[in-house]
This record gives sequence, C-alpha cells and structure tokens, in this order.
Amino acid sequence: MEMNSKEILSVDSLRIGYGSGKNENALLPPLNASANFGELIAVIGRNGIGKSTLLRTLTGLQQPLGGNISYYWKNIKDYTRIALAQKVGYISTEIVKVSNMRVYDLVALGRFPHTNWIGKVGMRDHEIILDALKKTSMSFFAQKFISELSDGERQKAMIARILAQDTGIMIMDEPTAFLDIASKYEILHLMHQLSGSGTKTIIFSTHDLQMAISQADKIWLILENELIEGAPEDLMLAGEFDHLFDSSTVMFNSEDGTFSFRSETKGAVYLEGEGNKRFWTEKAINRAGFKVSKEKTLPFIILPTTNHSPWKLVNGTEILEFRSLYELMGCLSRTTTRSI
Amino acid sequence: MKTAVQKDLTNEINSGRKANLIFICLFLLLILFLILDIFLGSVNIQPSEVIGAFFNNSHTGFQTIILKFRLPKAITALTVGIALSLSGLQMQTVFRNPMAGPYVLGISSGASLGVAFVILGFSSTITPESLTGFGNWILVAASWVGAGAVMLLIMVISSKVKDIMTVLILGIMLSSGISAVVTIMQYFSNETLLKAYVIWTMGSLGNLTVNQLNVLLISVSAGIILSLFSSKMLNALLLGENYAGSIGLNVRFARAVIFICTSILAGSVTAFCGPIGFIGIAVPHIVRILFKTSDHKILIPGTILMGGAVMLASDILSQLPGSETVLPINAVTSLIGIPVVIWVILRNRQYSDSF
Repeated sequence: MEMNSKEILSVDSLRIGYGSGKNENALLPPLNASANFGELIAVIGRNGIGKSTLLRTLTGLQQPLGGNISYYWKNIKDYTRIALAQKVGYISTEIVKVSNMRVYDLVALGRFPHTNWIGKVGMRDHEIILDALKKTSMSFFAQKFISELSDGERQKAMIARILAQDTGIMIMDEPTAFLDIASKYEILHLMHQLSGSGTKTIIFSTHDLQMAISQADKIWLILENELIEGAPEDLMLAGEFDHLFDSSTVMFNSEDGTFSFRSETKGAVYLEGEGNKRFWTEKAINRAGFKVSKEKTLPFIILPTTNHSPWKLVNGTEILEFRSLYELMGCLSRTTTRSI
Repeated sequence: MKTAVQKDLTNEINSGRKANLIFICLFLLLILFLILDIFLGSVNIQPSEVIGAFFNNSHTGFQTIILKFRLPKAITALTVGIALSLSGLQMQTVFRNPMAGPYVLGISSGASLGVAFVILGFSSTITPESLTGFGNWILVAASWVGAGAVMLLIMVISSKVKDIMTVLILGIMLSSGISAVVTIMQYFSNETLLKAYVIWTMGSLGNLTVNQLNVLLISVSAGIILSLFSSKMLNALLLGENYAGSIGLNVRFARAVIFICTSILAGSVTAFCGPIGFIGIAVPHIVRILFKTSDHKILIPGTILMGGAVMLASDILSQLPGSETVLPINAVTSLIGIPVVIWVILRNRQYSDSF
C-alpha cells in the first residue's frame, strides 16, 4: 500500500461496538477511513448509528472490537495513555459542571499529559495556557468560574483546554449541538481557523448537514452498511446524501445542498421580473407547492419593480394586487393554474 | 497583549498569595485549638500546671491527666479530623457528588460491620479494651474490609446510576441494612460484648490505648501520603471519567488508589473511635468556600488543616469548658456538620449534578 505522507489517521476494517466474545454487539460493519494533516472532517449519520461510539473509540476511551486505528503511522495500541493524550484531544457532549473551577484551571487540566506527578503548572505550561485562552478569545474569562459561563463560552473554554493539551488531532462530539446560532458560527469559525492553519486536524460529528457541506474538507458519511468518505461536493455529486433520508418526505437538492419536503405539485406559475424579489418569490411559491414555469401561465405573477409597488396576480383581464408575499400566497393556494 | 499576560500573572500571584495567607491562618487556628484542647477539660487545671506537666517530671495527678489523657485525645482528634475530611473530599470528587462522605454513604457503617464481626462475632474474649498489639491490626483491617466493601458497592451503583440523590438514598438504605445485620448480631451476643460494642458505637476520641493510637497514626499517615499523591488524578476526575481518560488518566488505577486511600482513612477512624458523622461531608465544602478553588493541590492541604481544626474544636466543645459533663463527640460533629450540609443542598438545588 502506498504510504500517504500527509496522512495523520488511518482507520482499517475497524469494528466498533460493545461487549466481547459471544456477547459482542457490533454497531456497524468494518469501517475504513483516513484523515490528513490540517483537515476539518465532519462525521455525519443519523441518530444512534454509532457516531459517538466511533469518536470514543478513536480517542481510545473504548476498545475496538477489531481492526486497526493508526495515528502518525503507529497503531493506537502501541501508544501509552499519556502518549496518546499528547496526540489526540477529545470533547464530548457531556457538559462539565464543577463549582469553584475557574476557566484557567479547566484549561490548565489540558496540560495533564505534559506535567509531573503532582500536576505542577510550570512557566512554559502557563504560557501555553494563556496562548490557548488567547486563540479562543477567552483571555478575559480566565479568572471566571465555569459555572458563570454561557454555553458558547463554556464550549470555547473546552476548546481552549484541548488546545492546551497541544494535540495534533482534535475529536469533537457535536461541538455545536446546544449552542445558539451566533455561538455556533463562532465555534465553527474557530474550528475552521484551527484546521486552516494546518496545525490541527479536527474530526467532529454534527447533525447540521448544510453546515458540514459548506465548511468541512471531508465528510465521513456513516450509513447502515458502510462509511463513505470524500469531499462534500463529491458525495453530493454521487448522490450519497440521499441515503440519509429513507423517508420519502424529505428531499435533498443536490444542486444547492438544501433540503425540501416532497409534496404534490399543485401546478406551475410563470414569474415576470428579475432579481432579489424573484429569488424569494420562487422560494415562497415552492413552499406553497407550485413550480416556476418557463412558459406563460394563467394566472401569472408580475414581480414588483420598486420597493413600494405590489405583486400582481394576472388572470386574463382580472389583476389582483398584493402588498406582501404572505397575502399573495394566501390567494395563490386557492387558485388552480393552467398553461396557455 | 503583553500587558494582558502580565495582568494575568499578577492575578495568578495574588490568588496564590491569598491562598498562602489562608493556609497560614488555618495553621495558626489548628495550633490554637490544639493548645486549647490540651488546656481545657472537665478538670480545671491552671495553665502553668499544664506547661509544667510537659517539662517537669512531677508525677502529679495533673501530669497524668495531661500526658495520659488530654494529649492522646487531642492527637486522636487531630488525626480523626484529618482522616474523615480527606476521605470525604476524595469521595466527593470521585463520585462527583457534593453529598458524598464516609458517614452518609454508609462507608462508616461498613466499617462498623467489620468491627462488629471482630467484637461480637469471633471471640468472646475480645473487647476493644482488651485488644493489644496484633489484635488492633485485626480490628482495623476488619474495618478497612467493611469500609472497602461498601465503597466498592457504592462505586458500582454510581457507575450505573448518575443521579446524585438516588446514590445518596441507596447509601442510606445500605447503612440501614448494615445496621439491621449488626442488630441481629447484637441480639445473639452476650451482655459484656454488647456493652463493649454499644459504647464503641457512641464514638469516642478518648478511649484509645497507646497501641491503638499508634495503629491509627500509622494508618492515617499512609492514607495522607496516598492522598497527596492522588491530587493530580483527583483534578482530572473532576471532569468526569471520559475527559479524565482523554487527557491521559488511567481511570481504573486512579479509582483503585482513591478507593484504597478512602477505605484506609475512614476505616481506621471508625475502628477505634466509632462512626463519627458529618465531618467528612462538611469540611471539604468549608474548604472550597474558603479557597474558592477546585484544585486538589490546594484543597488537600486545606482539608488536612481544616479537618484537624474542626475536629479539635468539636472536642473542645464536647467537654463543655467550665463544666464536668462530657458530650458524645458524635452529637457535636453533627451539630457543626449538618448546617453546612443543608446549605450545600439548598445551594445545589438547581445544579444538582454539579459540586
């Protein structure tokens, strides 16, 4: 096999699950995957398929049932706990709640695999901790208690901890799951920055497919019978994301990477007009169950030309005017269209 | 950014200085209580006589009281306070449960069961007073085994049940179950043994023979040394097992060390002084409030000093200075500990899983 010099992690025929011997309960068929230096990798799969178990196994918190995991071309079994903790950091979905623990102390715990038996934080450790706080813009919070932080701040503190751990690989289980939109994008931006600088390889699980598609360098798509890896665009072109939805109600649009509900089309409508107004009007009529027609229909819609002019629904000689798309949709859903 | 770094450094240094100051105060308090505990008692002895007892070989009755009774009792109080508080601190961290303590979770009861087996069970000739030399080690070992067994059970339970209050209730159930077993044993034992056992359960700091005090000191010293070694592991365990494992802690090893350490500390004390309540649960909380930290490098020495001081203070109070009555030590520690426990429960109502 050709050795890939940029490869930092290789997963070969890995079987994950619980138990052993006859009681062995494998969650998935053997998995193969890899990660290169500096990549941001999103792990996608439906709930309960084994994303967390895979990430825990990669972190060494759980024994694999079989197969190999290699970091830096060395089998995970050949690492001591401490040596592995110097290579791989982990953030779980568990929320850390400890009273009287300051952000600084939390981040300092990241130095655990690097400090002596009593855990003394030396001058160099101190600088690394401050640097980690700075990179996550948490310097200001250093002396705050973690119980006083918001969800987003706490997650940044957890990332600072993993940075202080100084590992090449960061494994995060749903790092944005319980965050509000602003914090979510802040965390994502941070992850992007860290992997973009080429020093960190980040493997994270998420349920946000659109975010994963737009941000990740690579996606590990976990399906019932295999793990498919590739650039998000490759997977999209191959139509792999369709396998995520076994129900017939949700549809993944491989043109723009968005989702929509499958519904019966009520008809087609011709739109007259261009620009921003056209884009959002299209969205609205799609939701109402109509398609945009290329040929003229009756009735058809004339888009507003200025900010103050109305939408016009033209049905022969009858012309109805609407001040908002909301009103227009209310009327349209009661009409039937025909092409002319 | 240099100024920010410097500011942070000054903060660090300041909090370090503040901690040092608290350490010095605690140490002075401990020494003060130690002296008071020797000077005060049910017999009024002039301070000059007390000092005289240490330096003149006068063989007066006072000297006997000071050297044979008060001094050993004060040393016992100090040791017991340190041992119970340290075991409480370790249990709270390892179970991630603010309500954990040797007494509440039934570890002391387990130790009592071990002691009951030795006193009531095996031989009709063994009483706590008649135990000498090797016999004391048998007693203490039985106590360790009893404490260890309950500790193991609680560890298994708490790995399955994450809810703090459930674990607590199960701990109380365990205690009650063990008491029931001990009651049955009492029912079948003879009068002398029963009396010896009942007196033992009342808890006392003053009934230790020199030999027993030696056994206690050796065991507790071992426990203290072990706990000093465990501060880094305890810090990691604060984050929970997963995170502790991910930063390189051998969780099983850490649990085993802390398990042994706690069993020795709580078991030894219970073997000789009976079950003493609420010190183990309350002192770590007082120390956390005082130092405002979760770092065991500070909490462990803080708990050692505070535990010793609180127990000495309890002993002073139990002798009711100025009167000849002596209260059971258990009553005093409960009255000191319970308000702290109630405060913790009320404060933690909305964060029942943080500590």
